[in-house]
Amino acid sequence: MDMSPETIVAMAAYSGAGICIGFGAIGAAVGEGYTAAEANVAVSRNTEISGDIFKNMLVGQAVAESASIFALVVAILLLFMDFHGAPLIKAAALTGSGLCMGLGALGSGIGSGIPGGQACFGIARQPAAMNRLTTNMLIGSAVCQTPAIFSMVVALLLLFLDFSAMPFQPGWAALIGAGLSTGLASIGSGYGGGTVAGASCEGVARQPLSVGPVTTTMLVGQAVAQTPAIFGLLISFILIFRTVPATESLAPAMALFSAGLCTGLGGIGPGVGNGEAGGGAVRWVARNSAMAADLMRVMLVGQAVSQSTAIYAMVISLVLIFVM
Amino acid sequence: MGELGRIHQLLVPVGGLRLAINLEVVVMTWIVILLLILFGLATSRRRSLVPRPIQVVGEILLAQFYGLTEDALGEDLAKKYAPMITALFIFLLFSNWLGIIPHLEEPTKDLNTTLSLGLMGFAVAHYVGIRSKGFKAYISEYFQPIFFMLPLNLIGEVSKIVSISFRLFGNIMGGSIIIMVVSYLCWNLLLPPFLNAFFGIFVGTVQAFVFTMLTVVYIAVQVK
Amino acid sequence: MAIEGADLVKAAAYLGAGIAMGLGAIGPGVGEGITAAKACEAIGHNPNEAGLLTRTMLVGQAVAESTGIYSLVIALLLLFVV
Repeated sequence: MDMSPETIVAMAAYSGAGICIGFGAIGAAVGEGYTAAEANVAVSRNTEISGDIFKNMLVGQAVAESASIFALVVAILLLFMDFHGAPLIKAAALTGSGLCMGLGALGSGIGSGIPGGQACFGIARQPAAMNRLTTNMLIGSAVCQTPAIFSMVVALLLLFLDFSAMPFQPGWAALIGAGLSTGLASIGSGYGGGTVAGASCEGVARQPLSVGPVTTTMLVGQAVAQTPAIFGLLISFILIFRTVPATESLAPAMALFSAGLCTGLGGIGPGVGNGEAGGGAVRWVARNSAMAADLMRVMLVGQAVSQSTAIYAMVISLVLIFVM
Repeated sequence: MGELGRIHQLLVPVGGLRLAINLEVVVMTWIVILLLILFGLATSRRRSLVPRPIQVVGEILLAQFYGLTEDALGEDLAKKYAPMITALFIFLLFSNWLGIIPHLEEPTKDLNTTLSLGLMGFAVAHYVGIRSKGFKAYISEYFQPIFFMLPLNLIGEVSKIVSISFRLFGNIMGGSIIIMVVSYLCWNLLLPPFLNAFFGIFVGTVQAFVFTMLTVVYIAVQVK
Repeated sequence: MAIEGADLVKAAAYLGAGIAMGLGAIGPGVGEGITAAKACEAIGHNPNEAGLLTRTMLVGQAVAESTGIYSLVIALLLLFVV
């Protein structure tokens, strides 16, 4: 069987599109299901305002949907791309692109469903705080999408940049690694951001007057929880833009691939953990807003310490890229 | 996009070795230091019992960080180290904010800056530890819980420097790369100002505070 | 393209280092995060003991981090010694 580079690039694009929307659909579906489940519980508690709960559920689900819409956009771009005369390396770029966007939409999709569900439940508990809850939910789940947007940026770069100057042998590994790095690292940060936002909706429902400090703590917690995704992005950009010498052997290529995998996998746990820490702090800021400054300090220190393993993973990746 | 990862270096030959000095970082650091001197003069000149707004800013900053240091280290050590901690925070804050001015760059984007600040915090923490516990107690801590944990304890200590400095470097570098790439993808329309506000001001402030708090915590752990 | 045994071993070592540190980072990250969340809860219950609780949190996190440091050591060994 004789295959031209174009055929292989087309195969990569189509399988990449499948991976992209396949993974990308998981997250949003789970997240929206969670929102709907909580909305059902909420309606059973307080049937009189079922219309408001229903509206809030739809808004929350629409925001949670956007992660999988990003995945859909990238998948469609992959399907209808013009790869006439594309070099073989483009196949790796397209596979990386699909992996990156698909995995990246996973965490954000699940995460941004959590605030939606908590807000529905909160409305049943405190109908008077409905406006505050909806605003809080929208801010929280919008910030949750940031890791998915990072993944989309990397996926679009892998789609549209011209890699014909890159040698194939270590190049393929660098590009797939770049996709894996941001994609995997976004899972943790997206889910973590959702945990924080969910806790903040729960807190606002419990104590609507504390919405100011609660939202501030939530935003700081989410921003810090995004750090692992930013590390993944950093490694992706280094892998994409660094010029690598052509080689015959496998080891340099594997070093680049492994660098992407390491930062990506290493970012999952710290992202989830930072979300837990942020959620814990936000929940107690709502109950006791006089303690907001102290709680935020403890949250920041706790999050910073739980990030250290992501940083070790990034250091190993940097060693793999620059020393090996 | 071409300027991604390009660094202007000055190579100074010193006895067979070549010292590489990143020129931009040095210039930017001096700009930050100049800004700090101006800020210091503005807050402390013409002090009065009824303070002007800028004096209030300085006093609040100092009082906040004195309180934070006192909580963690106790009154005696706080008197000694609160000025250093406050100075560290203001330096990092101004450094992280510098990037929002066009044509200027954050000195903290360079690993050399963050690593040297991390090393400084590490050195101070261990100096304070030896001073307050005595040398023998300090050394014996490395043999806890059993003697053969020594290498792991040492790696654990050194990895603190790595984690504190790479965290700041990764966040600031990552932020500036995202701003550059998104500006390139959307032809500098609309989005970049918001991105600058988020990554420059918000993330910059949070990360400066995290770095400062961790330095305080590292000192506090050594004292106990 | 001829791939030799030594090259293959090196490639596997690099891959192993990446997987070791990557997967090894997941557990401590989640665990330390839960510790921090519970510390926040504890401080919410008893604000007067904030200093003691923060210290306890830091010591607990340092212990939870040791598995991450084991992974780091193994990854560095795979990269530089093997």
